[in-house]
Amino acid sequence: MLSSIFEPESVAVIGASNNVTKWGGRILKNLLGGFAGKIYPVNPKETIIQGLDSYPSVLDIPGMVELAVVIVPYAIVHSIVEECGKKGVKGLVVISAGFSEAGNESGEIELVSIARKYGMRMIGPNTLGIVNERARLNASIIGRLPRPGYISFITQSGSLGLALAEWTIATELGLCKVISTGNKAQTDDVDFIEYLSNDPSTGVIAMYIEGIKRGRTFLDAARNISKPIVVIKTGRSKRGAKAVFSHTGSIAGSDEVYSAAFNQAGILRVDTIDELFDAALAFSCQPLPRGNNVAIFSNGGGASIVAADECERQGIHITDLTEETREKIRKVIPKFGSVSNPIDTAGTVSFKIYNDSIKALHDDPNVDAIIVIYVHTMISNAMPPAEAVVEMKQKCDREKGKKPIIACWMGGLGTEEGVDLLKSESIPNYPVPERAVKALWALIKHREFLEKIKIQKAKPGD
Amino acid sequence: MKILTEHETKKLLIKYGIPVTKESIANSPDEAFAIASQIGTPVAMKISSPDISHKSDVGGVVLNVGAHEARGTYDRIISQIKKVAPLARIEGILVQQMAPQGHELIVGLKKDAQFGHVLMFGLGGIFVEVYKDVSFRVIPIEKREAIEMVSEIKGYPLLKGIRGRKPARIEAIIDVLMSVSQIAEKEKIIELDINPLIVNEGGAIAVDARAMME
Repeated sequence: MLSSIFEPESVAVIGASNNVTKWGGRILKNLLGGFAGKIYPVNPKETIIQGLDSYPSVLDIPGMVELAVVIVPYAIVHSIVEECGKKGVKGLVVISAGFSEAGNESGEIELVSIARKYGMRMIGPNTLGIVNERARLNASIIGRLPRPGYISFITQSGSLGLALAEWTIATELGLCKVISTGNKAQTDDVDFIEYLSNDPSTGVIAMYIEGIKRGRTFLDAARNISKPIVVIKTGRSKRGAKAVFSHTGSIAGSDEVYSAAFNQAGILRVDTIDELFDAALAFSCQPLPRGNNVAIFSNGGGASIVAADECERQGIHITDLTEETREKIRKVIPKFGSVSNPIDTAGTVSFKIYNDSIKALHDDPNVDAIIVIYVHTMISNAMPPAEAVVEMKQKCDREKGKKPIIACWMGGLGTEEGVDLLKSESIPNYPVPERAVKALWALIKHREFLEKIKIQKAKPGD
Repeated sequence: MKILTEHETKKLLIKYGIPVTKESIANSPDEAFAIASQIGTPVAMKISSPDISHKSDVGGVVLNVGAHEARGTYDRIISQIKKVAPLARIEGILVQQMAPQGHELIVGLKKDAQFGHVLMFGLGGIFVEVYKDVSFRVIPIEKREAIEMVSEIKGYPLLKGIRGRKPARIEAIIDVLMSVSQIAEKEKIIELDINPLIVNEGGAIAVDARAMME
């Protein structure tokens, strides 16, 4: 069971060290930084490590060990894992490298067979570890625990994967679980998405993929998962230089096939790292829209046109507002503003303008989603409109039929207070309109997937 | 691995209910004349060889051949091939009904190492290489997906009929896509091209095709 890896009661760190610049020292320190269960350092050369009793071998540990994190030289990995099996360890995170990534397939097969012999579940080898924020468990070399959230992030091993995980923490994106897949010797993407789909604290699965091991099984698994899965798949393969037999063969490169396959399985493929986390953020804190009719509200005409252009590109409809809505907005914005969608307050900003207008838009049956833009100027204050959005969101959360609200606070310097308020109140906020629109596109697209592909398996609207 | 000639590939298509051009292999000038007369002229004549899959590149295709030109054309193609591809095994000359007017489309299959068979649809003929206006689905597909494959290419408005161009019978394309999806499930295909599949208001017909089998 993967739960032994993510929710263990006890963890042994095999290859633990007092030196926190070494991986074995770093991971132990990370575990000590939050995990409330039992932690056992294992290292035959030490008696006390980072203040804890150290054991020569996992077999010497007096209590039960549920998870073992293995950070030992390649030469002894197999015998260490064998010992874990004898000890009755249930889950393994094998950080040690030197396996298939280095061309050593047989060493990896042997490792898997030892794990299987004892019924152990293993992540890795060659993984950077795993994080479960809910258990305050950081069994990885990722610097610190993330801010709590509903995004779970699966990343293929490598420095980029680590950098992305660190980046999500730095940007205070709320995370639930981080999985560095490593070589996927015994557990792979299929196991991870299935585990996360049943994990109540995961709301959206974000993935950085270089390649998939079991393509068809992965598609079948994804098709049965109603939670959004957002993927960035790199490695646009080169078509062989050899003479190609058919046109289909020459055009259907592996990248095109990945795109088609993901689309059929209801997996959202995005092109950039920004889009991956932008979409994940929106999913993690906003409901899905019923349709693709958007209202754009802004204090700056230029910004709302940029947003409208991007909507056009993404096939999102700028909806016509009801006369009732227009009348409500007309009452609060200046005469020279625009009450037609996109709505433009002609530069004026106040709590009342934003609050009354967003309320009117939210009540409009023609509107499925709202993009609220604030463009910072020397004479405006970013806080009142942010407060208005927060109040509306809280009101909507209490009501049925709530609609997604996506924010775009532009201008950087001077907007920090408003931006922080939005972030703390789980309003997805983006620095430019295009990113806000693309995040909304992801919500709309997932709703389509639920209706079209996953309808028999899952109920839309969670 | 085995390469099917155009004629062999067409036989496979017929098995799955895909309409193909009337055609037969001639092994002599007289046979070419007889087949051409039977099909009705003008005809297309093409070299048939398992070693030559891009027939027109080697001068192995002559179009619009009249009944009385059939014998001479037979000899001309054979001697041309013997000159440019002396080692190619020649099975004969394929004498074939000329393609009707219509939209030139492509339907293809490729076995992908990761996901299995992938179906491709798009604008065919010369467009396929330049515009790559195609859509893909992993096999098997449902009818809904076949409909999406057709409607999501950029050239879809062309198929609906635009500026006096006659529309293509979309239903006929869908049928071909569903049949090719079946071929992928039942036959050991590595790659398959139907290019062009000509589609007009009356229906669809496979005019040229090639396949590589396991």
